[in-house]
Amino acid sequence: MSSLAERTDRPDFLFFSGLLGRSVVGADGTELGRLTDLVAVTGEPYPPVESLVFQAGHARLVVPWTAVESFAGAAVHLRAGAAAEQLSENPAEGRLRLAEEILDRQIVDVEGAKVVRVNDLHLLEVKGALRLAHVDVSFRGLVRRMGWEHAVDILVRSVRPSAAYLRCSVLLPWKLVQPLGATPGKVRIDIAQRQLAELHPADLAEMMEDLDRYQRATLFKRLDVETAADTLEEASAEVTSDLLGAVAPERAAAILEEMAPDEAADVLAGLPAAHRHALLQKMEKPEARQVQALLSYDPRSAGGLMTPDVVRLGPEATAADALAEIRRRADELGLVYELFVVAGGGKLEGICTLKDIVAAGSAVAVGRLMHETPATVRPDAGVREVAELAAKYNLVSVPVVDEAGTLRGMVTVDDILPEVLHGG
Amino acid sequence: MEAEVRPEAAAGEAPRELATPVAGRAGRARALWKNLLLFLAVMGPGIITANVDNDAGGIATYSVAGAQFGNALLWTLIPITVALVVVQEMSARMGAVTGKGLADLIRESFGVKIIFWVMVALIIADLGNTISEFSGIAASMEIFSVPKWLSVPLGAAAVWLLVLRGSYRSVEKVFLVACVFYVAYPISCVLAKPEWGETLRATVVPSFQGGGAYLATLIGVVGTTIAPWMQFYLQSAVVEKGVKVEQYRHSRLDVIIGCIITDVVAFFIIVACAATIFKVGLRVETAKDAAIALRPLAGRYASVLFAFGLLNASIFSAAILPLATSYYVCEGFGWESGIDKKYGEAKQFYWLYSGIIVIGAGVVLIPKLPLITIMLVSQIANGVLLPFILVFMLLLINKKKLMGDFRNGPVFNWIAWTTTGVMIVLTLWLVGDGVRDLLRPG
Repeated sequence: MSSLAERTDRPDFLFFSGLLGRSVVGADGTELGRLTDLVAVTGEPYPPVESLVFQAGHARLVVPWTAVESFAGAAVHLRAGAAAEQLSENPAEGRLRLAEEILDRQIVDVEGAKVVRVNDLHLLEVKGALRLAHVDVSFRGLVRRMGWEHAVDILVRSVRPSAAYLRCSVLLPWKLVQPLGATPGKVRIDIAQRQLAELHPADLAEMMEDLDRYQRATLFKRLDVETAADTLEEASAEVTSDLLGAVAPERAAAILEEMAPDEAADVLAGLPAAHRHALLQKMEKPEARQVQALLSYDPRSAGGLMTPDVVRLGPEATAADALAEIRRRADELGLVYELFVVAGGGKLEGICTLKDIVAAGSAVAVGRLMHETPATVRPDAGVREVAELAAKYNLVSVPVVDEAGTLRGMVTVDDILPEVLHGG
Repeated sequence: MEAEVRPEAAAGEAPRELATPVAGRAGRARALWKNLLLFLAVMGPGIITANVDNDAGGIATYSVAGAQFGNALLWTLIPITVALVVVQEMSARMGAVTGKGLADLIRESFGVKIIFWVMVALIIADLGNTISEFSGIAASMEIFSVPKWLSVPLGAAAVWLLVLRGSYRSVEKVFLVACVFYVAYPISCVLAKPEWGETLRATVVPSFQGGGAYLATLIGVVGTTIAPWMQFYLQSAVVEKGVKVEQYRHSRLDVIIGCIITDVVAFFIIVACAATIFKVGLRVETAKDAAIALRPLAGRYASVLFAFGLLNASIFSAAILPLATSYYVCEGFGWESGIDKKYGEAKQFYWLYSGIIVIGAGVVLIPKLPLITIMLVSQIANGVLLPFILVFMLLLINKKKLMGDFRNGPVFNWIAWTTTGVMIVLTLWLVGDGVRDLLRPG
């Protein structure tokens, strides 16, 4: 039992900051050096500490944690015959150096969906073996690292005994965080993918902005194609090119295909021409053609904002057909509310809403449910005009038609809102 | 770490762009145009940082230097420009290559204890600088007969709102416009009708004078030009701007142009005061004195322009310093930061930012407060910090893991270490002087 553990609420835990800098003493009682790092094996929810690193003169040596006799008091005592090796330059696969790769670095707090900086680590001690349990991101962790925890605790307690500062509530379980610097083992990646897929893409996108370029790339590579596509749709133009550049072209193309065509076009429009062409080449032909058509419009016009993925129905289709169509294409469709009734040549005849369809009997023809389209825009209409029409006629989506009256796509409110909010 | 591999890979791509064959005049024009566009895309951080350098304190130092020693200190501007470029270029390069701020890098490489003390010193130094910016606002507005109890709160409110209501991009544009107003100094200088031949000679031919006052002023001029906050601000601004390794060539140009503009402005301030105040042998202690003294000597317009320049520089720097300080303190301690965040998400950031402005402006309004002492403390904090920052920067920029192929070359390293050495000696001198003045009774 270490002396430090007694200071914490739970006797089996100790802080990494309490171990750092302790002298490492050999079996014969000679001081070998000072503890500078611990190496843990990743892959388990609570990674076990495999070895410790100490600085002896200019050399950084590593000994297995099993060689530790005790670490009570101010020193770590090694057993007789403990063999120290030179520490390699880079960590081995599936190994994590706690001080070098985690402490003071940014990590992703999966539960809180934000990027945080690690101030200290919380280790669990079981019969002399250590496991990495929590990450401390609190201000108190910072104070502890400065060596002032005791004094500051007394000070705070005397001023406000109920202060949130004194509660150890900002310990994040290790299994709910994502380190960003290191290359994790295979197992860790799988856990990561599953965890990250549960986050809201908007949160993921916001985190991307808080990270530096390389961390951003690391995190993005861990997302599965679907989550990556959703994240890219939400991310700001500044980071999207970084993100797409981070993954192999084949994967980037797969992600773009997964995205709504209008969003994919926006992302591609922000890339250098050469990169854009390369990715369009790699994409499946139909998707690439759709995106290419959108790319020819000004990004702030109706044509640039619209999605070609709309529900098109013939006048003779029934309400049941309409629902079946929505079900069939659920994956690719974004926001669905207005359904568009088109004549043979693709000319827009009228619209009916999802509510009309759901409320009607399943055998009723769409042609009978439809009403006149309150407003349409041309592809070159400005975003203001689209927004005004949507507001005036309470439309969730405004249909975009060309000169001949053929339906090209629709602009949905979720695409108009950011433009209006930020672009004025 | 992956960061290790990436810069090198990117470095391999950069020359390819350079080697694009361009045929004929049309091709050259197109290449020029393309380069200009690329430059405009990354322009900002370097020019803005360097111009904030000519803040209220800087203008005061240059005015006094010109008024007291005439053209005798002009020659220092060229070596100062070189030193400034060397230091700023490293900051921008680290920002572009690592994608991280300086506070971030120092914490990750040197630990939490070091970054804590660096941040404490930085807050003290920047608080002092902010106070001097607000006293610059007060002084320049007094020339236009606006009392300080009106100008300072208004200035503080304007600065606070500008930054909190804007986004980084819009704020940057306002800052770039503020840079243009420094043209007030060259015009003011021309109105002062200096003898250009003699002036240019004094710029390129070093001259030395004995005496403690000369040396103290020389060190003051150097000290005011390279301040620790600049390295933090520039690097963060480069990161925030999203400058990539491939764009770095253009970012470097931004830095170099900025440094040159800074010292050209300094040149005109010194020359304007040398041609007028020094010639008739007046003594001035502040930039405000200098502006007033210019009125009978160089005409009303020169005086008004001089005061206007001071006002512009003070507001400009009063907007940037608190913002920059809050940014890198939050970065160092791992708090969320950024004007794009809401108050609830980045409480520490907004408290720091507002606190620095309120204290900076408030102190100026308190009557009979020993402003000179406060300035001295801030100058000492700046001076103590600078050697550490420069050494940290040099250690970081030579790390292979961090910088890959973008580490300093041997020649550049030699120049950088020499610059650092000279800067350290001069700054320690300045600190010594400051401490002596602080302890002097009365």
